[in-house]
Amino acid sequence: MSKLLKTVSVINTVDTSHEDMIHDAQMDYYGTRLATCSSDRSVKIFDVKNGGQILVADLRGHEGPVWQVAWAHPMYGNILASCSYDRKVIIWKEENGTWDKMYEYTGHDSSVNSVCWGPYDFGLFLACGSSDGAISVLTCSGDGHWDIKKINNAHTIGCNAVSWAPAVVPGSLIEQPTGQKPNYIKRFVSGGCDNLVKLWKEEDGQWKEDQKLEAHSDWVRDVGWAPSIGLPTSTIASCSRDGRVFIWTCDDPAGNTWTAKLLHKFNDAVWHVSWSITGKILAVSGGDNKVTLWKESVDGQWACISDVNKGQGAVTSITDSQQNEQ
Amino acid sequence: MHLGFEWGPGDLLVYETNYKLQGSPLVHVVRKDEDICSPILRKLFNESHLIFVGLQKIKEDVPSKNKKSQFVSISKNYRSVIRACMEELQQNAGKHSPDTHRTRRGGCSRSVSILLAIELIWNLCEVLFIDAAPAGSLLLHLLDWVRLHKSDVDARAREVLQSESPAQHQSYWDVVISLVLQGRMDEARQVLSKQASLRAESSSVFKRMDVLLQTMPIFNPTGTQTLTEFDVKWRHWHEECDRCLQDNTFASNRHLETIVKILVGDEDTILEQKELLSTWYHFLVTRLLFTHPTIKPPDLHYYAQSSMNMFLGPRAPPEPLDIILLSAFEFDLHQVIKDCSIALNNWWFVAHLTDLLDHCKLLQSHNLHFGSNLREFLVLEYASGLFTHHSLWQLAVDYFDHCPEFGRVYLELQIERIPLDTERKAIKVLRICEDRQMSEQVRSICKIMAKRALRNNRLGSALSWSIRAKDAAFATLISERFLQDYCNKGSFTDLDLLDNLGPAMLLSDRLTFLGKYREFHRLYGENRFSEAAKLLLSLMTAKIAPRGLWMTLLTDALPLLEQKEVKTRTTHALHSHFTVVKKLDEDIESTKTELLRLALARNLAMAIVKEGTIET
Repeated sequence: MSKLLKTVSVINTVDTSHEDMIHDAQMDYYGTRLATCSSDRSVKIFDVKNGGQILVADLRGHEGPVWQVAWAHPMYGNILASCSYDRKVIIWKEENGTWDKMYEYTGHDSSVNSVCWGPYDFGLFLACGSSDGAISVLTCSGDGHWDIKKINNAHTIGCNAVSWAPAVVPGSLIEQPTGQKPNYIKRFVSGGCDNLVKLWKEEDGQWKEDQKLEAHSDWVRDVGWAPSIGLPTSTIASCSRDGRVFIWTCDDPAGNTWTAKLLHKFNDAVWHVSWSITGKILAVSGGDNKVTLWKESVDGQWACISDVNKGQGAVTSITDSQQNEQ
Repeated sequence: MHLGFEWGPGDLLVYETNYKLQGSPLVHVVRKDEDICSPILRKLFNESHLIFVGLQKIKEDVPSKNKKSQFVSISKNYRSVIRACMEELQQNAGKHSPDTHRTRRGGCSRSVSILLAIELIWNLCEVLFIDAAPAGSLLLHLLDWVRLHKSDVDARAREVLQSESPAQHQSYWDVVISLVLQGRMDEARQVLSKQASLRAESSSVFKRMDVLLQTMPIFNPTGTQTLTEFDVKWRHWHEECDRCLQDNTFASNRHLETIVKILVGDEDTILEQKELLSTWYHFLVTRLLFTHPTIKPPDLHYYAQSSMNMFLGPRAPPEPLDIILLSAFEFDLHQVIKDCSIALNNWWFVAHLTDLLDHCKLLQSHNLHFGSNLREFLVLEYASGLFTHHSLWQLAVDYFDHCPEFGRVYLELQIERIPLDTERKAIKVLRICEDRQMSEQVRSICKIMAKRALRNNRLGSALSWSIRAKDAAFATLISERFLQDYCNKGSFTDLDLLDNLGPAMLLSDRLTFLGKYREFHRLYGENRFSEAAKLLLSLMTAKIAPRGLWMTLLTDALPLLEQKEVKTRTTHALHSHFTVVKKLDEDIESTKTELLRLALARNLAMAIVKEGTIET
């Protein structure tokens, strides 16, 4: 009997028709639409239902390469945020079948590198980080008006990534006081050119630095706060130009003691990390043109479960400690 | 060059970035598990779902003896579903026209071979773990297992027997030996008898063989004979066979010589039948049949390992399937599950098998770091995979329901991602959330649907959804739209809805007003003027009428005031309200004001007269 190989299959290839390289691609909440952004300064939206690819919108408004796009929760309508080298964050909204600029934020003095929407339970708001070192939190107050809170000098030299904590209070699965709604605190994590990972908490309407996590020896390129499944543990992943990926965990609900675990030291700068929907698998994109998938094993160690190589249709599974022979 | 990777709710995105452009950049949508999409495998998922749910319902208090037979029966059900699927796939594969793309045909046959492997492994697990046959029965079950998975013998036997001259058929001896190797002595004798009738002089030799085959003891688990007694009998028979070999009884016929060597359990001879055996596990069972039929379960692994080594030889490394079977023979359940998880594309097999084994209390609580046991972990993985499918997600709900630790939160995370393409689908999803008191998800879904309806100007639908979401703010917004529409058009839409709001009306003040206002119009339409006037008055008194509508309300009152039944008191009250309004809104149209004043005065006069008349 032939080998039972685990494979993934490419079910659709979307020709984006961008005129320059793309920097981000994001599926919407339901996986029916795809948003891409590019150095050609445009943001495109495709309908990818049932294996199709129909260009729904070609959004122009940025004056420089667009680095990231992020979809808001569908409860607020079809809303997409984009951030760019042109120092702007633009929020786009679909109204009566057409996409238009809903709001434009120009509060930064340098490239805005990352944008991320907060958990929908708290409302419609986002955080964005810029090369000017500042982080801004934009909150929609309902009538098209946006409230701005800016954190200056969040990271010296520049901020590269922001990611929100999920809305669940850690441990809510276990100790839920009956009938009482737990006190939700808004928190997010950021990574910067000062090699630091920082945690931010909102207190009395102001944003304060809550934790400073040091472990990287070069620019932190990306951070990701894992989705919660109700366990008392909070988990954050950070990756850096130093080739390292760290997993940060905090077991106490107050969020005070964070422990770092080195996931892996890669041979190249690692530029992107992303958590799966249930937060069980971490995808790591490295400079060596590879994406590896990692999962926490029984003994608390992180193991590489898959290796996605460019040009290959097959993803071979490897066991815990073995190296992929390919 | 960088490879970008993003998680979609179901599929994954892979794209290239940070490189010199050659043509426009592409984004690949990647699916982890294509099996989900196969329409034939869908039957597997659907039917096994029923079995799974039935299994969860088995009561804990049933005595274990009865439970075992129940579990074995469930195991057989699962296997029959696998077989049915396999047969359908095979039929389908046969139907392919030469034009069918090679990969699709290949994919079909690959699915068949995977299902075959799955059924093979499951069957062995059933024999060893679920049925857990003791020595004596163990070998019989293993023989059944081998016979089931080496079915070409029957086809060949039929072919030989149906031929004109069976004994001359080129596969004749292959068939006889195959039957002997599988312990099917009666059938072997039947085929042999075709040979015996031809040669008169060597008939005695054939008769001897016939006797040997006929007298081979087979353990009867339901009989009165103990294992020891069987063993004694078997050894006697074995010695008899050996005597025949030593006496060169069958030296005249090399085939019969081969057979007697097999009967004696000569491993080299059995190994020579490699082609007929075709697998090392067939070799294992045959070997045990003729050397150690009373094998005990714990001793199995030694023979398994050596059989595999002997059969495969030094140069052929074992394949994943071989390793899995070996782990089973070694009674290492966890290894079996682990290896299957790695080797197979879809979690279906490991999830259902582990769940069944867990019910049989065969898994030690293998706690994983995130607090869930092995069974729950696998079921969660399987169900999560189902969630990406546009209709199979409904099966997943039941699986999550039976994962006590994390089922609920997994369901909460994933049920929100189901595209709410139609209202019907949204209601289906909603019902699932409502049944499980997932209030956050209910609220979220209703809000999404309400917003969507509002965007499409379907006010009635938007209102229903906001009521269901218990969203007062949105209900207020939509009520104002209704009222705006009324002011612009002079009539209400969605009368059915507004007339039947019931207690939902109380969700927001504006909504209450809307409902009552509509009621006012209805009463007026039914000529129940006195009630209508009272209602109008109460609306104004209760102060839930929006400021902007006060004039409208009073204007509505105008025709009422012409009606004779409206009492003095009511008119007085209306008058005072009118005064209030007039004071607050200085720039009210003077004609309207005059009309109203006139009407009020007239009505007052009428009422006084009427009441006066009656009282006299």
